[in-house]
Amino acid sequence: MAEDLVLDTAIRDWVLIPLSVVMVLIGILRYFVSKLMRSSNQVPDPKMVKEGQVIIRARNLRAAANYIPAKSFRARRVYFSNEENGLLYVPKGQAQNAQAQMFSDPNMAMDMMKKNLSMIIPQTLTFAWVNFFFSGFVAAKIPFPLTQRFRSMLQNGIDLSTVDVSYVSSRSWYFLNLFGLRGLFSLILGEENATDDTQRMMQMSGFGFDPTKSLGAEKDSLDIFQHEWALPKFEQRAEAVLKKLVS
Amino acid sequence: MAFQSLTTPKSDLLLALKNGLCMNKWPVAAMDTQRLDMAKDYVKVLQEKFPESKRVGRLEALLLEAMGLWEEAEKAYSSLLEDNELDPVIHKRRVAMAKAQGNISGAIEWLNKYLEIFMADHDAWRELAEIYVSLQMYKQAAFCYEELILSQPTIPLYHLAYADVLYTLGGIENLHMAKKYYASTIDLTGGKHTRALFGVCLSTSAIDQLTKGRNKDDKENSQLASLSATALGKDYKQRAPNKVSLLASTLRSLKLSS
Repeated sequence: MAEDLVLDTAIRDWVLIPLSVVMVLIGILRYFVSKLMRSSNQVPDPKMVKEGQVIIRARNLRAAANYIPAKSFRARRVYFSNEENGLLYVPKGQAQNAQAQMFSDPNMAMDMMKKNLSMIIPQTLTFAWVNFFFSGFVAAKIPFPLTQRFRSMLQNGIDLSTVDVSYVSSRSWYFLNLFGLRGLFSLILGEENATDDTQRMMQMSGFGFDPTKSLGAEKDSLDIFQHEWALPKFEQRAEAVLKKLVS
Repeated sequence: MAFQSLTTPKSDLLLALKNGLCMNKWPVAAMDTQRLDMAKDYVKVLQEKFPESKRVGRLEALLLEAMGLWEEAEKAYSSLLEDNELDPVIHKRRVAMAKAQGNISGAIEWLNKYLEIFMADHDAWRELAEIYVSLQMYKQAAFCYEELILSQPTIPLYHLAYADVLYTLGGIENLHMAKKYYASTIDLTGGKHTRALFGVCLSTSAIDQLTKGRNKDDKENSQLASLSATALGKDYKQRAPNKVSLLASTLRSLKLSS
């Protein structure tokens, strides 16, 4: 069943390339629109900022703890994970509270809505457009062989069951572009661009209250950490360096 | 950029500023070089263009600070902070003002408050450490330097400063630690840092002085001192040959006192 279909080069000229170009342009448009729509009341919540900074500091402590003497490390560890007023200690009751607050806070809800909308609407529109104009024919051939299970996903408009699964419709080209153009966008638009759909989708699925969880995580890893003062090693290394220098 | 702004004619600059080039930098440059009249003009132009901007508000307050009108500047900063409680730049300007007025304890207080919120800002820790050292509050300075080492462990400068503070604090334990941190500085700089080499020699001789008469069984690190002395000699021969004799006599006196 391995017939080699010869695909018209007109497909390449009039389907694949325009589709990619259109997606890039829509992405750029979304980026600018999101910049314009960003609400001006970007006043950061003091608690959130402080928590973010605490996390950074705790992370630094863990990363470089071997460079400071044991006493200082222990003092800092107590400061962070002390049961009563340690910075990283978040009692369970507070954790639930925070999540509820996030849902009920109107501003935050609006912000998330806006972000979601700006992602969903262009995607839906483009998808509908692709389906309307570019369905019913084979658009491309995937270079590696696939199993039959992918047929329904990739060969949507093609109603022949004998065509090899490697021949896909333009819908799959659309999805390929959707996930693949992220790299291109980071090149063109810099790091923080609103087109990072895949990241956003992953964030949406894991809807946890970020700070509380990461605080707890930091506290646990800090508690586990074993301090091993690296400085004595440095003396020997300095000796070695000097020996090489002097000889 | 700053020097350019001082030599080109005023009208051209005002025109360029009206069209929005380099808005932030020229007024600051003018204030840095004490050309307050030019700074005033720039700020006025910016105010006309962006009446409600936070940045222009900051520049205005900065101008007041540069002119020495401390109370007005303080009022301006407090009002700016009311709108935006978490602007790190404004907090830091307040600290700078306190320091410029000679109110060092006030500066420390503001800086501590700032660090309670923004505790990952290593520049602020560094500033605090320097202030403490200037006030001879060495224990607190040591704490700040530890923070710096934690956030950027591969910068030899912080190791060196920490070692200096420990050496100044004195006491056997601290001297041992100081020697270790001088050693780590040497390691991080490939043995070329003169001050660290001297630090090793000095701390070794200070330790020997303090442990005179007690058993010196950890003699394994005496090699470090002699090695650094040799390295120093080599360095001086290369860079300052006429001071070699001075170096030799200093090192001899250090060894003799042990």
